[in-house]
Amino acid sequence: MDAISTPKRYDLDDDGVVVIIGSGAGGGTLAHELTRRGVEVVLMEAGKHLTAEDFVNDEWGGYEMLSWLDKRTASGSWRVAKDHPEAPSWHCQVVGGTTTHWSGCCYRLIADEMRARSVYGEIPGTSLIDWPITLEELEPYYDLAETKMGVTGTNGLPPLPPNNNFKVMYWGASRLGFDVSTGRHAINSVDYDGRPATIQDGFTITGDKTGSRWSTLNVEIPRALATGKLDLRPQSRAVQVEHDAAGKASGVVYVDGNGVRQRQKARAVVLAGNCVESPRLLLHSASGRFPNGLANGWGHVGRHYLRHVIQTVWSVFDKPVNMHRGEIMTGLVRDFVRHDPARGFAGGYYVELNSMGLPTTAAFLEPGWWGRDFVSVIEQYSHMAGMLLSGEDMPQPGNRVTLTDELDAFGVPVANIHYDDHPNDLRLRSHGYKTMTAIHKAAGAKRIIEAPAYPASHNLGSNRMAARAEDGVLDGNGRAHEMRNLFVADGSSFATGGACNPTLTIVALAIRQADFIAGQMAKGEL
Amino acid sequence: MSVVAHKDPKLAGRAIELPEGPEWVSALRVFDGHVAETLASVAHTLYPHDGLPERVYRRVVAQFDRMAAASPNAAQMMAQLVDLVDEAMPLPFVELSDGYRTEVLKRIEGTPAFRLVQRSTVRFLYDDIEVWQAFGYEGASVHLGGYVKRGFDDLDWLPDPPAAS
Ligand SMILES: Cc1cc2nc3c(=O)[nH]c(=O)nc-3n(C[C@H](O)[C@H](O)[C@H](O)COP(=O)(O)OP(=O)(O)OC[C@H]3O[C@@H](n4cnc5c(N)ncnc54)[C@H](O)[C@@H]3O)c2cc1C
Repeated sequence: MDAISTPKRYDLDDDGVVVIIGSGAGGGTLAHELTRRGVEVVLMEAGKHLTAEDFVNDEWGGYEMLSWLDKRTASGSWRVAKDHPEAPSWHCQVVGGTTTHWSGCCYRLIADEMRARSVYGEIPGTSLIDWPITLEELEPYYDLAETKMGVTGTNGLPPLPPNNNFKVMYWGASRLGFDVSTGRHAINSVDYDGRPATIQDGFTITGDKTGSRWSTLNVEIPRALATGKLDLRPQSRAVQVEHDAAGKASGVVYVDGNGVRQRQKARAVVLAGNCVESPRLLLHSASGRFPNGLANGWGHVGRHYLRHVIQTVWSVFDKPVNMHRGEIMTGLVRDFVRHDPARGFAGGYYVELNSMGLPTTAAFLEPGWWGRDFVSVIEQYSHMAGMLLSGEDMPQPGNRVTLTDELDAFGVPVANIHYDDHPNDLRLRSHGYKTMTAIHKAAGAKRIIEAPAYPASHNLGSNRMAARAEDGVLDGNGRAHEMRNLFVADGSSFATGGACNPTLTIVALAIRQADFIAGQMAKGEL
Repeated sequence: MSVVAHKDPKLAGRAIELPEGPEWVSALRVFDGHVAETLASVAHTLYPHDGLPERVYRRVVAQFDRMAAASPNAAQMMAQLVDLVDEAMPLPFVELSDGYRTEVLKRIEGTPAFRLVQRSTVRFLYDDIEVWQAFGYEGASVHLGGYVKRGFDDLDWLPDPPAAS
């Protein structure tokens, strides 16, 4: 508490600080991991510093309070460009980033996924690569991440209990012989680390009011503040990263809460603004020396954008389900995660439980749908069950974040996200719909709706890691190939997407990166 | 199927209350009676829930009225929609039969004005607590202790999964 009431302030001219832009999964974790190693950190966050008191148990109220609502544009063959043309990607603008919004599923990448190019072979139209690091190198950091996040099913923590929606999924999936469980979550099933067990309120994604779910807002940032080394600056919007004559990052220009432009000097700069904002800032920070943007000499910044093959299935049953009661994603089928060429596509997917309240079920069921048929489905809301698919999509160089001619309120060009579905994505998508409908059918569904993808919630790959500078923006430590004190700590660093929800991996990579940065500093190399 | 639903106590003051009967339009700031009644019948035709009272559609139009008050662009699109549906047939939209109303809306489905009104109807209609109660959505729960003791696992028409290991 003391640390919060007397916050640390570093001088704007202090060039000994590491500046992190963004306080979500990657940035918030890195801030804690660096400060506890004694590193001085300025954490800039565009959004406000809210507390559990501020949050509401209300789908639209929570969305409007937490989300990044600044305009974007979308193009390409993806359905999202048609349904959500000005909000193609879904994440937050608040201290804690999208960890205030996420539903806590925590799965690890598997070894084959980190060697995607070698295992899947050459796939025309894709820019597949292997990760520059192996699963073995990442595993100790997965262990640390699971411990800090209190992931159920690890460290002796019991899994979350089955809820009504899961009972439906379980019955269908087990009748088909699938390996089905409630899965793993950074949501307490029992009291852990000073946070309570869940009361199953069903509103995890509007900002958890009880703190049973891990977030950087309720775990990492308070602990970083308690070290006395963190200067947290909410409502501070980074607009440009600057470099010195030697080509090293030298500081960050930002607009503070009063609308005043400031310049913070830095020893190193870390971008952690989520997969759209980080490349947007790099592209916008172009200079005479780096005319295509920072770290973009090989033209990879913004490219190979991934968003997972995500889709939902909603089904109507004869009897009540009440899917809105309880934690929303406590169900997992893992039979389809392994790459199996016999299925006719590369990569794999998980089927996960999913529920929504009436307001967002109605909005996402099929955005243009109206009339008697829609009405006959939605009237049976209390008898509906749901599932979500999270599968690997293929990196393609043309799927990318670019700058448009339109400027936002801070004078930064609005980002466009272009995404064309790859034939492999569509084959995986169709296979996934069939699996999900089979599960609900086996549980007795009388009507099944294959719903389209909603705005992208797993945003990855747009500043990817690659062993060679000609293949990507970053090296295996998340450091720019072209700038030795510029780092990325968010989902944009993924070399490929794998099938699993990304946050556990983002956190593990951030812990690993903290080791690297602190080590470099100790050696006097940063 | 109907249940008791709860709005988050913090948002309780935001509910819209309208007078019953034709005077409901007098509570609006931007729309005149004809525009308001036309939009209400458009919303009803889009999402024809036979069991819901007319007031839920009127509250949707009251939300449109707030949108129109806040944004000239929204106001213009809504006015445009009313013109489109009124001009489609030799009768004003409100006087058309259900079948003709549906046909008119199908014809203009591709227009930005239709899109705005259709999406906004979904946004507000299914966020109305009376609609939540009618379709079995109970809403906010944290102030009641969540659902942990209020039925998060009470489904009894399928066998329970074995205790997780
Ligand atoms: C509804 C929903 C449910 C999800 N559920 C899961 C799940 O169950 N499991 C899972 O693994 N993942 C889940 N995710 C995804 C997960 O939340 C994200 O993958 C993760 O939070 C991304 O971390 P990040 O560090 O890349 O960015 P974020 O967590 O989005 O943080 C980025 C932060 O940077 C700030 N920022 C951006 N630009 C600037 C700037 N210029 N200046 C200052 N600050 C800036 C933003 O305001 C934001 O706070 C979910 C996402 C959503 C939307």
